[in-house]
Amino acid sequence: MTKGRFGRYGGMYVSEILMHALLELEEAFERIYPTEEFQKEFHGLLRDYGGRPTPLYYARNFSKHVGFKVYLKREDLLCGGSHKLNNALGQALLAKKMGKRRLITETAAGQHGLATVMAGNICGLKTEIFMGVKDIERQASNVNKMKLLGAKIKPVKTGAGVLKDAVSETLREWASCSRTTHYLMGSTVGPHPFPTIVATFQSVIGQELKQQILEKEGRVPDAIVACGSGGSNALGAFKPFIEEKGVRLYFVEGGGESLGAENSAAAFQHGSPGVLHGSLMMLMQDRWGQIRPSKTRAAGLNYPGRGPEISHLCEEGRVKPCYALDREVFEAVGVMCRTEGLIPALETAHAIAYVLNHPEEFSRDDIVVINYSGRGDKDIEAILRYYYGSS
Amino acid sequence: MDLLEMKFQDLRRRCEGAHMAHVYYGDPCEEFSLKLVETLVENGADMIELGIPFSDPIADGPIFQAACERALKAGVTPVKCIQAIRKLRSKGIQAPIIVTTYFNIPYVMGFTRFLESIKEAGAQGILIPDLPIEEAEPYGRMTIEKGLHMILQIAPTTSKTRLKMILEEASGFVYLISLEGVTGSRLKSTSTTLRLIRNVKAYTSVPAMVGFGISKRENAETLIQAGADGVVVGSAYAKIYMEKLDNPFEALPEIAKQAYEIKLGCKNRSF
Repeated sequence: MTKGRFGRYGGMYVSEILMHALLELEEAFERIYPTEEFQKEFHGLLRDYGGRPTPLYYARNFSKHVGFKVYLKREDLLCGGSHKLNNALGQALLAKKMGKRRLITETAAGQHGLATVMAGNICGLKTEIFMGVKDIERQASNVNKMKLLGAKIKPVKTGAGVLKDAVSETLREWASCSRTTHYLMGSTVGPHPFPTIVATFQSVIGQELKQQILEKEGRVPDAIVACGSGGSNALGAFKPFIEEKGVRLYFVEGGGESLGAENSAAAFQHGSPGVLHGSLMMLMQDRWGQIRPSKTRAAGLNYPGRGPEISHLCEEGRVKPCYALDREVFEAVGVMCRTEGLIPALETAHAIAYVLNHPEEFSRDDIVVINYSGRGDKDIEAILRYYYGSS
Repeated sequence: MDLLEMKFQDLRRRCEGAHMAHVYYGDPCEEFSLKLVETLVENGADMIELGIPFSDPIADGPIFQAACERALKAGVTPVKCIQAIRKLRSKGIQAPIIVTTYFNIPYVMGFTRFLESIKEAGAQGILIPDLPIEEAEPYGRMTIEKGLHMILQIAPTTSKTRLKMILEEASGFVYLISLEGVTGSRLKSTSTTLRLIRNVKAYTSVPAMVGFGISKRENAETLIQAGADGVVVGSAYAKIYMEKLDNPFEALPEIAKQAYEIKLGCKNRSF
């Protein structure tokens, strides 16, 4: 099959139990998404509830600091504090039109879980969120928000109690309830059609970005930098520029404490193709194909796989895979705080850190766009601990 | 005719349903798994589903997840699992062996190399729970070419169209997933499963084995009498030794009794 394939990556590697649900979803997405009714409702919600379009902000002080022009695509201003709502609203609307009654999903940083319960409430769907116990602990503020909005939180204790384990658990749950429940996949990972659906809903970022930069600069940017693991915010920003070969695309993954195998989440640095959670993708694994746990301070980047489309784009050479180390990330938070008065999410700070630490990649006349994917309120405690020691 | 086909022929002649026992190899250690398989075969298991532990077994419930985790912690590798097949054969175990593995394991080893080594070790087939028919080509063909069966699964959610597609490719037997869920779930009502058996039997003469949620003799009896050619029992056995992990060998008599009971449920089959 070629549907759902990105080069050699992608596919539908799931139990037969789930195939009906994936085929049903594929059919529904292809039928419902292009309709005027859906587009109107989706974009209406993104505008009036989400606050789109998000601004493209010229970061004058940060630009002076690095020596070239940097714009921030302000996804942190989307309601909920990150880009996650774009996809959650789209899929929740779709699920409602498919007659589903309940949403399940997994979350790591909590941003996707939060976006899902927001979208679920709007669409009148019950929401249940699987979250690794370790992530519940380190992202407490988002857990509280989700609870307040009425989501049921299901702690996942298996494995290391992080995102990978939560995805496995959500897939297991889905196998028992797929007739009535939609798995609202949060990133461009998982079996087809999820990577395509999520990238489509997120591509609103890149479409706006393109229009905005043309208005402000009269030309496309020289480079776009985005953080990621599954790849949803990056693909959302990159999508409309893939054919514009003059635009350099940088994908920054979680380098962790050091690039050493046990301390990192940089699957492009020491991964290889493999199958996890329904998809063939770049994956951190041992020589036998057992998945290796990933490690980074940014919970939202802590996934051992890179989604199939971003895996393919990196393999092709269209996107440059890069990484930032935890220490660089915390330092980047500080720079953004001081230059622009903005506290970025630790995930987003990976993209900022890359721009700060790789002057060789950018020249003085470059126009660079950082996809500013989320705000850092959820990470305040970790950031304070880094700067002021344990409280 | 290979061991698997001969086994089904033999059981048919004796008017018995097949009892396949599913074991995750290496949990909690290799020595125990070898003894466990021997015990199961001596006490009523007609065939063995030998699971290669995987770090992220998405079709498995908590019992088998824990089994995989323990086995991996104990240092089991796919190669050790394959060597185990050879060890079992040299002990004189004749029961057909189906190797169950999530797709990443043979994918990383190289599919052809994987098939060749399990064939050489003495297995009859493979079952890959995360390889649906859409992704099974070219792997299904490669499996047949190596003289092995690729066991395909059918679920309560499988549509009629897909059912026919799957049955066209079926080899050895088809594995009917009794319920919507994971291994080790409880089979609450059999009505869906019985309908599934009827639907499958209407289209094919390939044997149909039913698995997931089967833990009691009565489950086996009901399913066999409804026309299933056999049952698969897995988590129910692991659950017994899980409670005696400091010395799992102590659990073997109870497991033997359970295997015997399940096999009783497979007997007296009316055709």
